[in-house]
Amino acid sequence: MRSLNIAATGMLAQQRNVEVVSNNLANMNTTAYMRRRTEFQDLLYQNLRRVGTASSDTGTIVPSGVQLGLGVKLAAVYRIHEQGNLTATDNTFDLAVQGRGYFRVQLPTGEIAYTRDGTFQLNATGQLVTHDGYTVLPAITIPNNAVDVTVNQSGQVLVKLQGQVALSNVGQIQIANFPNEAGLNAIGGNLYIESPASGAPVAGNPASTGFGAILQGFLETSNVNPVEEISNLISAQRAYEMNSKVIKASDDMMSSLSQLR
Amino acid sequence: METTSLISLSRQAGLRRQMEVVANNIANMNTVGFKGEHMMFVDHFVRSRGGEKPFPEKLHFVRDIATFRNIQEGEITQTHNALDVAIANPGYFVVQTPQGERYTRNGRFQLDQSGQLVTQEGFAVLSEGGPIVLGQRDASVTIARDGTVSSEVGRLGKLRIVTFERDTELKQVGNTLFRTDQAPRPAERPHVVQGALEASNVQPIVEITRMIEVQRSYESLARFIDREDERVRGLIREVGQMI
Repeated sequence: MRSLNIAATGMLAQQRNVEVVSNNLANMNTTAYMRRRTEFQDLLYQNLRRVGTASSDTGTIVPSGVQLGLGVKLAAVYRIHEQGNLTATDNTFDLAVQGRGYFRVQLPTGEIAYTRDGTFQLNATGQLVTHDGYTVLPAITIPNNAVDVTVNQSGQVLVKLQGQVALSNVGQIQIANFPNEAGLNAIGGNLYIESPASGAPVAGNPASTGFGAILQGFLETSNVNPVEEISNLISAQRAYEMNSKVIKASDDMMSSLSQLR
Repeated sequence: METTSLISLSRQAGLRRQMEVVANNIANMNTVGFKGEHMMFVDHFVRSRGGEKPFPEKLHFVRDIATFRNIQEGEITQTHNALDVAIANPGYFVVQTPQGERYTRNGRFQLDQSGQLVTQEGFAVLSEGGPIVLGQRDASVTIARDGTVSSEVGRLGKLRIVTFERDTELKQVGNTLFRTDQAPRPAERPHVVQGALEASNVQPIVEITRMIEVQRSYESLARFIDREDERVRGLIREVGQMI
């Protein structure tokens, strides 16, 4: 009985839906987390009676025919790259990108990763690093005798050195854009790496055309909307239950058949 | 005498297929842009063997003649994703696939690595002048009510939105795409909503009641066949005893 299989595909799809929702809720408070959404598609259709066949001797054409769908499949889980809320932390090395763009980070493997999580710190040598200790590119070193550090909107890092009045520029933070952000490969730890689907990165200075501005003392929160997630969860759960009801009904139909003499 | 069982069987076979249609609708109740389908049944007349009579007796068989798509618009849900678009009026987006143009109401679009606007499977979404390509400096995309796509750099194109004379005759080909031989014509009043998607138009309550109905009729037919069998058996036994 096909309806058993069809309902099973429905249950499987809703299970994935719940998994994605639970991951979103789990990361509700993760800095710069981008929420994921599941995308479903209907499966192929089976033609029991082709469209356009003649239904009588006089050549009446069947207008739509009998088409049976074979269920549903999970087409994709995609990220929604909507800007999260910006919250003030008043922390010198907390940076947020307002608009498009990713910070570039050097992984221990030598690869370059991209992130919007700007919770940066200084390491032992005064270099700007992520909370995992990976260097932010291009490398910026804050001198020991700096008393105040300012990062302006366009990413220039200005420090006030002890005993000096004028600010000195110690580096320029660059951010990267991708033609297709959704194609970036998430590797965990709030990091993404380039993939064939994302296209090649284009680096540029913050606040120039097409690039977001940098805000010092702010962090981007996750863009998870708890109310929306909960309502998604409810609808996924109900859909799961309904599919299981279809299985039950199909089973009852089969059993009534087997009770025949 | 055998026709009683045959007529019930014709109905049961149809009910099974109807169950499959219902199952597919329920399985796709969360599929963006999905349109539910119904089974259409007809009486199938067979002339009785009695020949020409003033009031001819005819037997009615049941046949599932067609699946019929419900083209009612699904609910429009907000997603806040700039590349999600829904059509609030009749109309379909045009998608270029290797097999030719296909039509869809699933407006879950994205960019591919070259910045071209594509569907989930990577098929190009067509504007009135071919595919739409975004440059790397096009930071924010706005899609106007009439389908015009623009960014701060300028106008990029206008989404092609088409309607058909007979909507219900479009064929589903999977992946929420439709195919037809009818000539598309431009939609008269396209109403495109950016940041929203059209949910599936499956009404769960209707589907569940239909499912219960299918299940119960199937069971009652099974009982009917059972009783008919008993009747025939009883008849044979009694007639047999007479000899």
